[in-house]
Amino acid sequence: MRVMGVGGGAREHALAWKLSLSDHKPEIFWIAENRNPGIHKICRDYKGELRIGRTTDPKTIVRSARGWGIDIVVVGPEEPGFHAIPDALEKEGIQCIGASQELSIIERSKADLRRLQWENNLPGKLLFRTFKNAREASGYIRKNIDTQPWLQNIVIKPARQSGGKGVKLIEDQQIYLHDEKERFKEAYFDSLQASMAAYSDIEDKILVEEKAWGPEYSLQCFTDGKTVLGTPLVQDNKSAHDFDSGPETGGMGSISGPDMTLPFITREEYDKSLKIVEGIVEAVQKKTGKAYHGMVGGQMMLTENEGPTIIEMYSRLGDPEAINMLSMLKTDIVDIFQAIAERRLSRLKLEFTNEDAAVVKVVAPNGYPEKREKAKGHPVQVFETNIKRNGCYLFWGSADLQEDQQVVTGGSRLLALMAMDHTLPPASARIEKTVSSVQLTDGWGLYHRSDIGTDRLLAKRRDAAERVRRLYKYREEHGILGSRMGWVPNLGRIDTSQLLLKEMHGPEKA
Amino acid sequence: MPGLIGFYTFGEGRENWDASHFIHYGLNALQGRGQESVSLATIGQGNTLHTLSGKGGVEEFFQKNRASIPKGFIGIGQTSSYLEDYLVHVKTPYEMVLALDGTTDLHENRGEATKLFARQLSQLLHSEKEPLKATSMLINKIGGGYSFAALTHKQELITGRNPLGVKPLETGSVGFDISAVASETCALDVMGIDQTGSVETGEVIMFSPEDIRGNTPATDAGNFCSYEYVYLARLDSQVNSLPVAKVRNSIGRELAKTHPVKADVVIGVPETALPIANGYSQESGMPQEPGFMRTGENIRAALEPTQKERLVGVQLKLNPIKSAVEGKDVVLVDDSVVRGNTLRNTVLNLKRSGAKQIHVRIGSPTLVSPCPYGVEIPPRDELISGSLSEKELANNVGADSISFMTAEELQHAIGLPRQNLCMRCFENGGAKR
Repeated sequence: MRVMGVGGGAREHALAWKLSLSDHKPEIFWIAENRNPGIHKICRDYKGELRIGRTTDPKTIVRSARGWGIDIVVVGPEEPGFHAIPDALEKEGIQCIGASQELSIIERSKADLRRLQWENNLPGKLLFRTFKNAREASGYIRKNIDTQPWLQNIVIKPARQSGGKGVKLIEDQQIYLHDEKERFKEAYFDSLQASMAAYSDIEDKILVEEKAWGPEYSLQCFTDGKTVLGTPLVQDNKSAHDFDSGPETGGMGSISGPDMTLPFITREEYDKSLKIVEGIVEAVQKKTGKAYHGMVGGQMMLTENEGPTIIEMYSRLGDPEAINMLSMLKTDIVDIFQAIAERRLSRLKLEFTNEDAAVVKVVAPNGYPEKREKAKGHPVQVFETNIKRNGCYLFWGSADLQEDQQVVTGGSRLLALMAMDHTLPPASARIEKTVSSVQLTDGWGLYHRSDIGTDRLLAKRRDAAERVRRLYKYREEHGILGSRMGWVPNLGRIDTSQLLLKEMHGPEKA
Repeated sequence: MPGLIGFYTFGEGRENWDASHFIHYGLNALQGRGQESVSLATIGQGNTLHTLSGKGGVEEFFQKNRASIPKGFIGIGQTSSYLEDYLVHVKTPYEMVLALDGTTDLHENRGEATKLFARQLSQLLHSEKEPLKATSMLINKIGGGYSFAALTHKQELITGRNPLGVKPLETGSVGFDISAVASETCALDVMGIDQTGSVETGEVIMFSPEDIRGNTPATDAGNFCSYEYVYLARLDSQVNSLPVAKVRNSIGRELAKTHPVKADVVIGVPETALPIANGYSQESGMPQEPGFMRTGENIRAALEPTQKERLVGVQLKLNPIKSAVEGKDVVLVDDSVVRGNTLRNTVLNLKRSGAKQIHVRIGSPTLVSPCPYGVEIPPRDELISGSLSEKELANNVGADSISFMTAEELQHAIGLPRQNLCMRCFENGGAKR
């Protein structure tokens, strides 16, 4: 059988690696925008080919799939879904594992995801408002900050995925810093408005959400539209540097195991999280009338108001979270893909190792994420025997194999190292011992996070989880989980969630 | 003794942050470390360092200079108990400003020693390809006891703690936008920044527009200042990951166990000794009562530079609450005794208010030597407990008894191994000068 993958990052290298281990002995073909050295080698070894092409162009993808006679396509990143790649393949009668364009709305539009949650009264939501422009956003906050206290601590996001615009977390809790925070906030609204101006197809440009506080984790799932199968929880680390400091990245490394939960998340919280993701899949299918077949992920947080809460949704596997999950997966991946394609996932039982925990650490060139042009084009040297000797696995990410066989950096996250052990800290230590096996030969620097998977960081996560758990359990016991009731001088009792629903369905929207 | 802040921002829109606002309030929280001199340096887009220094307290400095406060999205600040103790601005070969708590051993005079350190750092940053490695080598080479934060014209913030680790330095961060360092965690809290742990001994952290990098810290745990726990640090801070409030409580408990006395009430001398008195009360079972009300700002009497200001400080802050002591035997708990005049006034005031017996219990050993690392402990001949026996001292201050903790008891109360605590001010011959 012939399988084709789409995408050229570390997540896709891990998918290709897992395919290469399948008993179905598939021939492995791939389309990526960079010549990922890992995928390149696997394709060559498994009678396939890695072709460089635009992964968001349906024509390129369909032509290649037809030309190669592909049986199943698996889509790695989110962008091909946003650009209707799965839709185009299916129109040609080629099975595709990946959310179709309409379904990928749960990731593409962060505002639509929230609406979906509130319209269907699903658990695990956050208060939010959307705005057409910066003036409307700052005007609303200025006017309502006293009567809706959640507006003090907010997350600002582009209402839909937009050219690398990140999120801003603003806590406005010190009255003496209020003017400072307000100025920063409003300047960011302006900048979002400018960058979103290009999207004339949507009305809402700016999303403001309640800022929650608590430990984050990802729950990645396989679904055929009828059944949602959960995989082990993974925690990614988004800050560039140790102890959660520095700018936002795509993810600097992740932990999972040694069983389905994490050391700081309970089984009960896992089950609730899975229910939440199931609810989203059901709601988005109902809304679009399409069947979801592929991967779906909840980027979750334990929060004091709701317990398990959705921060964002993935219409795909996470990068690097996919590496953890696939490393722990014992079921043949081709069996899973076939079950999804044939809509019989309910009869499949996923198996994962329950003996080992997995740590993934991303290695990135200096300059990432803020000065990517400086981080690009540096020659890479890897001592593979050393990596193997330490029991680590290497997954290539933003890297390019040139014609002279030299690998150079692509400017984003270069590669990920993975190690497994009975618990997380020794796996983390093994990667620390190995990380010097990756070097840039022109003297440019590389960095990674040494704290991921260490006892010290785990203790911090456990501590945060316990604090939040105490708060949301209290709310649960008092029957006010998810409620946003408050009391405001002169106004008396207010229910912020009712206020939100009223504004969502108000006359101006009707 | 100075208090330091370093403030760094990342990400899109960083130019919209104004570091001076954060540093302003952060320095406010560090005023317990000194309020004689303030300085601030910032940098924004471009390569120009803006600096401003002035005398007096933090609030006074920021109010008076409202129109000329340096602006930028990265900055460092310093508040100091020394007169005219300002940031050192080195213009060549590598332009930078330096804030330093403690002393380097490059010169007898602390100010000169700091300047020499700044010049060497500037020279290294200019000539060495790897600034992190170079700074790391420098702090391993230059002795003394110090923590520092340097801001360069290339928008770098270089901060570190020498391997002795006698001076504290803490890190924090919030969201994806801000990282900071401060002498004490209370300053991070006040700036709304989450604590992320101590800078380790011998550690250098370098923030640059490209990344944050750190060297490998020293393998030794360091030699932490015990006086931070007794008196210097703010009650809501953590120093070397130990909560100061908890340590002061356990000092009080240890004091009650090892220096017991029968009395009716435990009174603490505000502010620092209140949690020590609280621990003494909890351990002994004697009630603690508030014994004094303060008028005016919290002036830290031990660090006040002139005798007159010190007396005014004592008078203003300690008005006895008569009903708490009238007709009672009192355990009066204080953190330390420097020249003895604060204690003498306090005891006298309590006796005039009707206290019967007064037994003074001190939550630290006798101060006998000045601090080699720049804490304003006066010269030996001004230290009363270094010159008089406990009995003579009791008579001198008018107390019925007085006793001090031993160094071993203090170490036990702090809970760190003896080799990781600096107790040079409590030990004869401990100080070099």
